Amino acid sequence: MVGPVQRSVRLISAYAACAAAIGLAAGIGWMREPRQYRTDPAVSHDLENFRLMKNGIGGAPPDVYFALGKPYETTAYDLSQGKRLYSWFGCAACHGTGEGGKGPSFIDGWWLYGPSMVSIVASIRDGRPHGMPAFRDRMTTDEIGQLAGYIKALGAYAATNSAPSRNDDKHSRPAENRAPAAALFEQGPVPMHPDQGPSP
Amino acid sequence: MTGVDRISPDVLDLDLQDAEVERHLSRTWGTSPGFWGAIATVDHKVIARRYIATAFVFLILGGLLALAMRLQLARPESRLIDPDRYNQIFTMHGTNMMFLFAVPVMGAMAIYLVPLMVGTRNVAFPRLNAFSYWIFLIGGSLLWLSFALDAAPDVGWFAYVPLSGPQYSPGKRTDLWAQMITFTEVSALAIAIEVVVTVFKQRAPGMSLDRIPVLVWAMVVMSFQVIMAMPSIMFASTTLILDRLVGTQFYNPAEGGDALLWQHLFWFFGHPEVYIIFLPAVGMVSSMLPTFVGRPIFGYLALVMALITTGILSFGLWVHHMFVVGLPRMGESFFTASSMAIAVPAGIQIFCWLATLWLGRPVFRVPLLFIIGFIVTFVMGGMTGVMVASVPFDTQVHDTYFVVAHFHYVLVGGAVFPLLGAIYYWFPKMTGRMMSETLGRWAFGLIFVGFHLTFFPMHILGLQGMPRRIYTYQPELPWSGLNLFISISSLILALGFLVFFVDVLRSWRHGLPAGPNPWGASTLEWATPSPPPPYNFLRIPVVQDRNPLRPEDKELPVAAGLRVDRRELLVTSVVEALPEARESSPQNSIWPFWAALATSFMLVWSIFSPWAVVWGAIPVAVALIAWFWPKGTPEDEA
Repeated sequence: MVGPVQRSVRLISAYAACAAAIGLAAGIGWMREPRQYRTDPAVSHDLENFRLMKNGIGGAPPDVYFALGKPYETTAYDLSQGKRLYSWFGCAACHGTGEGGKGPSFIDGWWLYGPSMVSIVASIRDGRPHGMPAFRDRMTTDEIGQLAGYIKALGAYAATNSAPSRNDDKHSRPAENRAPAAALFEQGPVPMHPDQGPSP
Repeated sequence: MTGVDRISPDVLDLDLQDAEVERHLSRTWGTSPGFWGAIATVDHKVIARRYIATAFVFLILGGLLALAMRLQLARPESRLIDPDRYNQIFTMHGTNMMFLFAVPVMGAMAIYLVPLMVGTRNVAFPRLNAFSYWIFLIGGSLLWLSFALDAAPDVGWFAYVPLSGPQYSPGKRTDLWAQMITFTEVSALAIAIEVVVTVFKQRAPGMSLDRIPVLVWAMVVMSFQVIMAMPSIMFASTTLILDRLVGTQFYNPAEGGDALLWQHLFWFFGHPEVYIIFLPAVGMVSSMLPTFVGRPIFGYLALVMALITTGILSFGLWVHHMFVVGLPRMGESFFTASSMAIAVPAGIQIFCWLATLWLGRPVFRVPLLFIIGFIVTFVMGGMTGVMVASVPFDTQVHDTYFVVAHFHYVLVGGAVFPLLGAIYYWFPKMTGRMMSETLGRWAFGLIFVGFHLTFFPMHILGLQGMPRRIYTYQPELPWSGLNLFISISSLILALGFLVFFVDVLRSWRHGLPAGPNPWGASTLEWATPSPPPPYNFLRIPVVQDRNPLRPEDKELPVAAGLRVDRRELLVTSVVEALPEARESSPQNSIWPFWAALATSFMLVWSIFSPWAVVWGAIPVAVALIAWFWPKGTPEDEA
């Protein structure tokens, strides 16, 4: 015979099991990490509509970027695509592997136009004075976002789990998933700032 | 007042009647009731049942993935599954079937059957056995959780670098794969050690090496293969994680690493792996067959020698997976020769079974049907195996559906058919109930026909040039008809498995009672009630013959003199199985469970940070200390 105490214990454990299952399902739904291979054209159009401050430093990203969950800065896939784009579009010609050269360094913690995603996207898309070309007509919105996210990760003070690891190449510096960048990595021959370019 | 309730330090079974021995042994060896009792048990039968059930759940999940792939490939340019998901699905299917179904289920059958067949009370290192199951369960769940999170590996079940390396496989997908490998390696190695020690040191008195059942021989050879092959993949998966996480250069050619190293390491494990799955099946067939033909197995010595030969040769043919990589011609010729040579011991086995069938009077019960299905299918797979062993032919069909057809014939034909037969055969022993003969015949028929209709056309597709792992194909290519045919046939195969699982669930509750020896078999596991009591045998049997349970003998001779007030079993010599010592066997313990949790915590954390190996080792050490700390039980005495 099943007593009332045992019955209520069973009932409670059944409810607990249901709640745990729902919680697990919700957790899985929350933590899913899908890859977006082709951005919806409407979303892509919205992503273009960020507002930049008059002086070209910082601004407000479009709402849709937050709705997507800031993919370019957080997902490993986008960051690693950014790393490929960095070499495919010849960024290394001026910026080296991040330590800078003709162009400014990305790992010394000094950002001429500020470290925000919006200004990095603007720098890539529209170019900047003193030699930074505009890639507006050569890269898609998605690619610009991926590259900007990667560049932001290059100089991170704390490595994230989604930062890319080493390439199958000769190595001049530890991989991007090691941080803080400025302390670990060779920053280049000369201290680049603050006279490395025009202060905005 | 009799002496029963007095707890004297040495209660020997010599002095007691059967009923009293049974009462003592049940108390000494039993599993305590309740949740924590179930977690703490170290009974090899309970753990093996869990192992088998878990592995079959993974089989169902992997089968559903296969159906999803067939649904996608049923017509050209299908958009049901996108390429990224498809990559995850075929990787999950292969990984799951190899690492979470085939290897564990064979190990689990060994854990269940070997102690019973050699006449002992528990497997050697029973707590390690419990640990092994928890590790396997957590590792398998980890892989499926990653699939649910859309973060499943997508690099194929052999995860070649550089595709799986840090540059081309972003995120934690491949790390999860590699760490899942570590989990299954640990659990498989644990089982292998237990089986070897159980067979070599715990056999019933008189069971000399030439009286061991073929299944037990097969499990020993399989265990040695695991012990020698697994370290290779363990090294491979660990170095892959190191490359990806901390930037070592094992597989980076630009810094002196070697991408080819991965292929060698993987296939040095991966080819013996095929035989790790196949040899237990050989053992199962050889142990089931005599029961259904009414005569002992033909060519016992030849069969055992063929098993050992296969085990050794299997380490000399891994390069035939790499013929198109571009290796020296001389090496390729050597591995062609060795790959063809392994057909010789396989042929010996087949002829021994055919001779056994020929000389006996076959009774076509369900297990025998599966055995015949196995022989037919496996021979066909073996034939295509000899074909792809030749370099020119392999170059032509490499990475096509021909290879897909070949290895499904070998693995499903060579391992799953005997396994299903073995489930029908040993289900009565495990549950005390018979499975249905009618449903069993339906299941066999559907699975056999469905299998051949599904996989035979893949040979033709392969010869027509359809590559493996493609998520779709264009309508202009001449493949759509056969693909649709295969997809429809796969439903027949799936239906067969559905009937099988329905039969299992139905028989679990409502099957006819089996009795100790429903088939009239001659090996020791049938000398004890079904399901066996926690202590396996009331008294340890003494073996005088290769077939200890001959119908003409009414009684089995037994050995006495073991203590019944603590877990004790008999240790015997390796060759002759002469009694050497009474050895205590560990009690139930909760600590293998906590140790497995601590180990899993460390392994999962180490995907994200190398420091996990340092800090995560602390809980592992605590759990292990508690595990081995003397608890003052009688088992702690020497």
